Amino acid sequence: MNTGPTLERFRRMVEMRHFDEACLEGVPGFEIHGELHTGIGQEAIGAGMAESLRPGDAVVSTHRNHSHALAKGVALRPLLAEIFEKETGLCRGRGGHMHPFDPATNFSATGIVGASLPVALGYAYGYRLRGTDDVAVGVTGDGGVNTGGFHETLNMAGAWKLPLVVLVENNLYGISVPIEAVSATATLAERAAAYGAWGRKVDGTDPDIVADAFAEAVAHARSGRGPALLEATCFRFRGHFEGDHDNYRPREEKQRIRRDHDPLILYRAKLTAAGVADQATLEAVAAQSKAAMAALLAEVRADAQPEAAGALRYRFVEEA
Amino acid sequence: MTATAAPPPARDALNVSQTISEALAIEMQRDERVLLLGEDVARNGGVFGCTRGLLERFGEDRVRDTPISEMGFTGMAVGLAMSGFRPVVEIMFVDFIGVCLEQVYNAIAKIPYMSGGGYRMPVVIKTAGGLIGSAAQHSQCLWGLFAHLPGLQVVAPSSPFDYRGLMASAVETDNPVVYIEHKGLLLKKGRDFRNQIPVPEARYKVPIGKARVVRPGGDVSLVTLSAGVEHALEAAEALAAEGIDVDVIDLRSVVPLDMETVTQSVTRTGRLLVVDEDYLSFGLTGEVITRTIEALGPSALRAVARHAVPDVPIPAARSLEQAVVPGAGSIAAAVRRLVA
Repeated sequence: MNTGPTLERFRRMVEMRHFDEACLEGVPGFEIHGELHTGIGQEAIGAGMAESLRPGDAVVSTHRNHSHALAKGVALRPLLAEIFEKETGLCRGRGGHMHPFDPATNFSATGIVGASLPVALGYAYGYRLRGTDDVAVGVTGDGGVNTGGFHETLNMAGAWKLPLVVLVENNLYGISVPIEAVSATATLAERAAAYGAWGRKVDGTDPDIVADAFAEAVAHARSGRGPALLEATCFRFRGHFEGDHDNYRPREEKQRIRRDHDPLILYRAKLTAAGVADQATLEAVAAQSKAAMAALLAEVRADAQPEAAGALRYRFVEEA
Repeated sequence: MTATAAPPPARDALNVSQTISEALAIEMQRDERVLLLGEDVARNGGVFGCTRGLLERFGEDRVRDTPISEMGFTGMAVGLAMSGFRPVVEIMFVDFIGVCLEQVYNAIAKIPYMSGGGYRMPVVIKTAGGLIGSAAQHSQCLWGLFAHLPGLQVVAPSSPFDYRGLMASAVETDNPVVYIEHKGLLLKKGRDFRNQIPVPEARYKVPIGKARVVRPGGDVSLVTLSAGVEHALEAAEALAAEGIDVDVIDLRSVVPLDMETVTQSVTRTGRLLVVDEDYLSFGLTGEVITRTIEALGPSALRAVARHAVPDVPIPAARSLEQAVVPGAGSIAAAVRRLVA
């Protein structure tokens, strides 16, 4: 299957980029007063996921989750409001940017590396019990593949042929540690063989390549043939979190990444070369997205933070 | 030919593990969203027999033998709960929680709060604690650990009646519940308990968060739970012969902690002894005493003491084990010191 390039995938990536850039604006003034992990540079993966996901499917993501949330259809406004610590947020300001939960789209995340995968396995088991053809997607970075939960999850999914897709966003670094320094296997995808899973490694900077591979992984899981492990390589443009000195990567490496591996720049070239859109059209799409995000940010900033009196609410059902 | 079926065993001949399996069967029959995950829970019916007969009755989808992957299957419970199921997860020994506490305290306990009430976590973590002569890694109680982590209800039943009724409540509530059995009680028959209430066949619930005065008395308030209740009742019998009248309170749950029952008793007796098979420091004993003082003021207590495992791993040798774990004899001695 070879799909794309499409203007829609460009539009999605641009929106994801602008969303994370809007988040960055909340950092200097402490509107977002804790850690913030953006996925800038990794948008092709989220954009590639979006088209294969159905409303009934579940996505369980990581601390770097914004693009996956948008791919799953989580509404922009409550997501941005949650990240900006507002009562109007998806979780009324109790979750924050690492812990968005959206029952309406079956989207959730965890701030603990690798912990997303067992949760996704639970969704997959539930789909099997209900007899639907929904799939669960557990997202992890390259850091999460070396946790015990990765092994436990893929082993159970393989043993019971559960409809699970494990999507590894391999951005090459677990904070400062390069994946090649701590992985026994040359690729992460080849670990699929140990679990009887479908496995593939792809270039995660091209949304067409991701979309095609992800569609195949999802189709595999949907068809009852068991789990799929998709490794998508990409580049983290910024530090692990906002405030990370990021001195462990040479300046030249970071410059090269931004120059040569920006999925937006690459896709613009691909779209124009294929004659799908000209520069003016792409500029217009980007400008429209940027303006919409700026308006949304202004709205969200005007929202109220949760009232202190409610700080203990929602621990137990009696308090909801 | 006439077939003669063996008469069913008398209700009071059932042991605690049979009572638990009865409770689970009732809940699984009542609500098809209830399912069971854990090691040896299906083919073997649980290493303590608490899930015996459930596989045959409800099938392997709902009674699932898992590999030894606690992090994996405890996390599964999170995804199952978020997609509308009501999982009961068995952690065979509570001591094993170290390999999967992540999913318990960062996910199950926190998601209702982190999601701003968007998700509920109707999960029961059923696990065996307490002394069984198996030393440091298979004898802990750890209810104080779970209670310290916000978002979990923590129950530790003492009698067959409560094991049945608290399991019904644990499965039915939308709150996550850690249900800690005591291994020293699991194979004990109902008729052999001091703390004895007949266990009806029909479904009933014991509310989570209501303590019970198991033995009324006017001299000392003895607050405990789980197997501590049997030890306390035995001690109280011996002390009664000496003219010391002990009010024995079974907390039944650590979260919520029913301080009203405790303070009512202390208001009458003025003396408080908290007995706990969990570790002494930073735990249940200190919490009950502190809350009592906060509620009644320091002048309400003429005497106060706590008796718990003195911050040491549970030893293997029986002589050492008995030296560090509260039993009827050591509890009676602690009461005598309190009234002296």
